[in-house]
Amino acid sequence: MMNLINERMYPSFVLLVIAALLFGSFLVSCGGGEPITVDEPAALDIERRETPTPKSSMDVSSGSQQARDTKRDTKPGPVTLADVSTPVPKASSTAVPEDLGLSGGVFNRLWSDPPTLDPHLTSDTTSAGVVVEIFGGLVSFDTSLNLIPDLAESWDISPDALTYTFKIRDGAVFHNGKQVTAQDFKWSLDRAVNPDTASPVAETYLGDIVGVNDVLEGNATSISGVKAIDSKTIQIIIDEPKAYFLQKLTYPTAFVVDRENVESGGRSWTDSPNGTGPFKMVDYKIGERLILERHDQYHLGPAKLDKIQMNLAGGSSMAMYENDEIDLTGISLFDLERIKDPQDPLNSDLVVANPSFSISYIGFNTKEPPFDDPKFRQALNHAVDKELIAEEVLAGLVVPAYGILPPGFPGHSEDIEGLRHDVVLAKKLLSESKYADPTTRPRIVITIPGTGGTPNLDLEVIINMWEQNLAVEVEIQQVEWATYLADLDRQRFQAFGGLGWEADYPDPQDFLDILFHTRSDNNNGAYSNSAVDGLLEEARIETDVVRRMNLYKKAENMIVSDAPWLPLWFAGERHVLIKPYVKGYEITPMIVPKMRHVYIEE
Amino acid sequence: MAKYVLRRILWLPFLLIAVSSITFTLGTYGPGDPVQVMMGAKYDPVVAARLREALGLDRPIMVQYTEYMWNAVQGDFGESLVFRGRSVSSLLVSKMWVSFQVNAAAMVVSLSVGLPLGFWIAHKQGTWLDPATITLSLLLMSVPIMVSIPLVLWGLCLKLHWVPCSGWGGILDARIIVPAITMGVPGVAGLARLMRASTLDVMGQDFVRTAHSKGIHPLSVDYRHILRNALIPIVTVLSFSLAGMLTTGFITERLLGIPGVGDFAIKSIFSRDYPVIMAFTLILSTAFVLANLLADITYSFIDPRIRLT
Repeated sequence: MMNLINERMYPSFVLLVIAALLFGSFLVSCGGGEPITVDEPAALDIERRETPTPKSSMDVSSGSQQARDTKRDTKPGPVTLADVSTPVPKASSTAVPEDLGLSGGVFNRLWSDPPTLDPHLTSDTTSAGVVVEIFGGLVSFDTSLNLIPDLAESWDISPDALTYTFKIRDGAVFHNGKQVTAQDFKWSLDRAVNPDTASPVAETYLGDIVGVNDVLEGNATSISGVKAIDSKTIQIIIDEPKAYFLQKLTYPTAFVVDRENVESGGRSWTDSPNGTGPFKMVDYKIGERLILERHDQYHLGPAKLDKIQMNLAGGSSMAMYENDEIDLTGISLFDLERIKDPQDPLNSDLVVANPSFSISYIGFNTKEPPFDDPKFRQALNHAVDKELIAEEVLAGLVVPAYGILPPGFPGHSEDIEGLRHDVVLAKKLLSESKYADPTTRPRIVITIPGTGGTPNLDLEVIINMWEQNLAVEVEIQQVEWATYLADLDRQRFQAFGGLGWEADYPDPQDFLDILFHTRSDNNNGAYSNSAVDGLLEEARIETDVVRRMNLYKKAENMIVSDAPWLPLWFAGERHVLIKPYVKGYEITPMIVPKMRHVYIEE
Repeated sequence: MAKYVLRRILWLPFLLIAVSSITFTLGTYGPGDPVQVMMGAKYDPVVAARLREALGLDRPIMVQYTEYMWNAVQGDFGESLVFRGRSVSSLLVSKMWVSFQVNAAAMVVSLSVGLPLGFWIAHKQGTWLDPATITLSLLLMSVPIMVSIPLVLWGLCLKLHWVPCSGWGGILDARIIVPAITMGVPGVAGLARLMRASTLDVMGQDFVRTAHSKGIHPLSVDYRHILRNALIPIVTVLSFSLAGMLTTGFITERLLGIPGVGDFAIKSIFSRDYPVIMAFTLILSTAFVLANLLADITYSFIDPRIRLT
């Protein structure tokens, strides 16, 4: 080789540089460029968190019951691209007899990398969707959102409704066969609230338990209100008679983990989790796949599926579905049209499911001109024809929102009038407002999250309607997500869009109190109405369900007419494709354990 | 030469300190932080403060930076703030390995088509085939990846069902085919042109004429004298691109479901996952410095007239 080298002449350096540029750029450069619309855009991973992380102390009662009762009358709604691409469990099928004796099969689906598989750290739907299948707690929701016993077979509530005594099921075992004890629960709950665990949601879900705050603040290591009476009995004492407390225990923060597993596994113990759920994780390669297998000793009866294969690498969901690589996919707006055509081969796989409990809105900063004048806010509300936008722009995929609580949600009332489309009234209100004169009206900017690309079409149409109907001009400003959140929290925006709110638990408190109480951290528009605050505070401790719901209804009506928001859309029906051989899959408006009911029909 | 290499390597730490402190400062002084993103729109200042303390984000920036760098020097890039409990190195290494495999597959395509093509075209100089081939390969190179990938998917996967549509199973899996084609084909043009020029250059050399005049079989001259010499600049170019092999673009990754590092890096930036961003910056800067150095060294080996001082 050496002599060959000596013989050759030194090539033109310019040529080399050009070649290096050409070649180098092909290897390195595909990194730049505009995000394109794919079924699994990364941004959604982030935006998804816009809604899921919970907080609050809420007050509910019988929320789940109501949720179930009203669920059937939900109006059909939409699929937004975001809906479709988020790997939130979706897809449902017709009701299936529980026990056909059929078993086995492998279910293939697309998912994203769960940020964590530690139940105590779980605060997002991507993680929760996997965690609830691997782990479990004392109680859980079934697919109709009824509260059901899980690892606890029964419980007693003391007459003052402060002390809960749970009896742990005899057959409850971890995946390795070890019996679940009250001590396991005690240790798990202590761990969940320990500051070293750094759970973002510990206070939300466990904060009602006596002594939790001491542990959170580092003054204690053991929750004084949680006691293991004997190996099968655990007692939990809460600070106030909150009927919704049991519902909070369905969230992964309250799940049981195996102390040995956690302590021996170190920081990465979730790589081989020893849970109590219907499935055990047998393989997890970040970014590639996550594989669950049936846990045969599952205490509520073993699952039917042998295996769930989750493809984490992403890709073109619809193409993969059509090529039989996955059994379930959301549908983008672009594909929906063709699939709705009965002639389309995919049409028979189309499943339409109840919407999730969420609302999107434009928020106004009620301390900033011109939004400090209610008349001005009301005028903007009346000037928008939501029915028209929902039908013409969003293809009927959303339900126009006039109230705050979504259809099917406890406390939702159909008779909230809201600020309907009425241009004459809008003009009148505007002329009565402090900002009737366009020459002295401040410049108006709506801020939305995003990184380039066009803002939502609906927002553009709304702005156009304001301009056409009221001659009010509004600019859009787009900022990157983390920046947006920081400014939102500091109430820096004059008006803000691109936001939604999704229920963490089925209770009106989760919407109204958290979003509109003067002192709530999530009241980003600085809305303040002492009458509303009074109603919300009264409802927190009201034990009578009917009276409580009425308080919320009153508060909701007052909020809506004060117009701190322009409520936009409730989630509409979700459209998904499910292979006809997949049975028993239910789409639920919230994350609940459900994969054990699914099976593959040969 | 040894002195040159040593000097370049000694410069590396200073370069890394500059790069990392800029990255760290921009990241931490920029609006928003990991806790904010973690909690999303449901933000509670008390909980957030508690989390920041637990994650060590409440300490002065200099302290955080120094500690991070001190650990990084010892090979510990910390723990991701988004994927809690996961070490940054395990996350990045696995994803860079994926990107590397995809790039390697693409390079196989580029090389196995580009080199023979360039070599062949050099022999057709002066005929219509020469400009026609180069034009065609330039055309192929100019098709943006967001056009070529859907086209290839539509054809090979949805219509012909020859290959799976997307996903990842390693370099020996059928799913590597589409990324290898869509990323490899654009590289053909560059390589073919380089190979053509390099071959022409060698073909005009005295020793080639001598070989021909000695009556050696033309094929033998082609193989033993021309091809081997023409490949030398290619090797140098390839060593330039080594560092780039560690990353793939997020568009390709998202369209094809490749768990590479591009998408991950972008998500980490959006969620302010500082340890990941820092490690990514440090690793890539090191890789680029080393690859450039390697290219320089290769070059001086190939051509003794180049002195590295």
